[in-house]
Amino acid sequence: MTWYDVYAIFQGAVFTVAISLASIVIGLPLGLGFALIRWSRIPVLDRIVVVYVSVIRASPAVTLALLIFFALPVVGISMGAVTAAIVTLTLSTATFNTEIWRGALMSFPSDQLESARAFGMPRALRFRRIVFPQILHSALPALVNEMTLQVKSSPAIAVLGLVDITRAASRVGARTYDPLPPFVVALVLYSLIVAVFVMSQRFIERRRAAELEAAR
Amino acid sequence: MIPPMDAAEAPVVLAAHGISKSFGANTVLTDMELTVRKGETVCLLGPSGSGKSTFLRCLNWLEEPDAGSVLLKGQRIGVRASGNIVMSDGELAAIRTRIGMVFQHFALWPHLTVLQNVMEAPIHVQRRDKAEVRREAEALLERVGIADKAGQYPARLSGGQKQRVGIARALAMKPDLLLFDEPTSALDPELVGEVLAVMKDLAREGMTMVVVTHEMAFARDVASRVVFLDRGRIVESGSPEEFFTRPKTDRAKQFLLRYSAQ
Repeated sequence: MTWYDVYAIFQGAVFTVAISLASIVIGLPLGLGFALIRWSRIPVLDRIVVVYVSVIRASPAVTLALLIFFALPVVGISMGAVTAAIVTLTLSTATFNTEIWRGALMSFPSDQLESARAFGMPRALRFRRIVFPQILHSALPALVNEMTLQVKSSPAIAVLGLVDITRAASRVGARTYDPLPPFVVALVLYSLIVAVFVMSQRFIERRRAAELEAAR
Repeated sequence: MIPPMDAAEAPVVLAAHGISKSFGANTVLTDMELTVRKGETVCLLGPSGSGKSTFLRCLNWLEEPDAGSVLLKGQRIGVRASGNIVMSDGELAAIRTRIGMVFQHFALWPHLTVLQNVMEAPIHVQRRDKAEVRREAEALLERVGIADKAGQYPARLSGGQKQRVGIARALAMKPDLLLFDEPTSALDPELVGEVLAVMKDLAREGMTMVVVTHEMAFARDVASRVVFLDRGRIVESGSPEEFFTRPKTDRAKQFLLRYSAQ
């Protein structure tokens, strides 16, 4: 294995991070939107979200990627491999985020909502000022956990011919007939990516704790 | 201090007519009537489950009554003036800014400091000037005796302190009327006094208040009128002297006997 091979795997890592981040950035608010639809029991839309979540959640990422890339053109929706990859990962992470946000919303204390209503806060303001800042903190550990799972399910998009960490590593292994070094490099890269997520979560939690401490 | 107005002449702040409410097959309120004039402190008394709290919550439409009407200074709450259409969330919110509420379990917002709890609605609902609201909020905290806790989060406060924040938060809206839903029922006995003292001051200063309470001494000493409920109906209503010394109905006599025995 040469330094060029390491560089190739590193490029795969850049791609993994890029599509993971794209799907997380879109999937977080999307999941929150779906959770709010379920929480407010908006008729019809509520049922659609239930069906969406149960179908997508049951589908392996590989299957979903193939479905989106090969089956959607049949109904006139076609997209490039990268877009299809991002759509796949976004749809998949959004379903899990929906359930995480919904759990946080359902365990939100109703007396706080009631006092917000009594103080003349309309629905949107109640959510923005009272509910959201609190569920963000209660949902954060589960959301970060889902982000790391998301990074780890990203190799599925290799079926679309895209080169991520795992695909880059296996290509190096196939060429050099020595698969161990490239996969060690791949593992190290995955660990670093996940560590960044976990560290940012710790940072946010520590900052919150310091805020609370400072107010004592 | 504002001298007490003659109750019979003061303008009507709140009028509730024919309020009825059921939860499923369970009838909680039947044909309730209440008129509150400016500067009055009306205490709603009655055994647990008599519908006091539900009735209080109907007054600002936290609970939607099945029948009847509530008017705040002549303006209908919950139903649009033009016909029998229930108000939207936003319309209800606008009218609720004029009615303050203090909750049994405080219902403070734990992610905001004491001062932020008090400033939240005036700034974000009433959209008043932040510096002015801050000055007023600090003055209110001073008034309820917890100015030194302004920067703390509610979790660090005792029940009595939390409830005083709850009162300051309600006052910050400069409401026409204050509703108290059993404000001392969740407190340790030795903390009840500090909250009642604040409420007593408010009553004396001419705040218009409707108070659901089990504190008979407070009702006797502070109320301008007591309303006694049983099983969702008004059984008796009158001056505290009359009610506590010469109750007219057997039901009220029974109720008072139980409290004097304690």
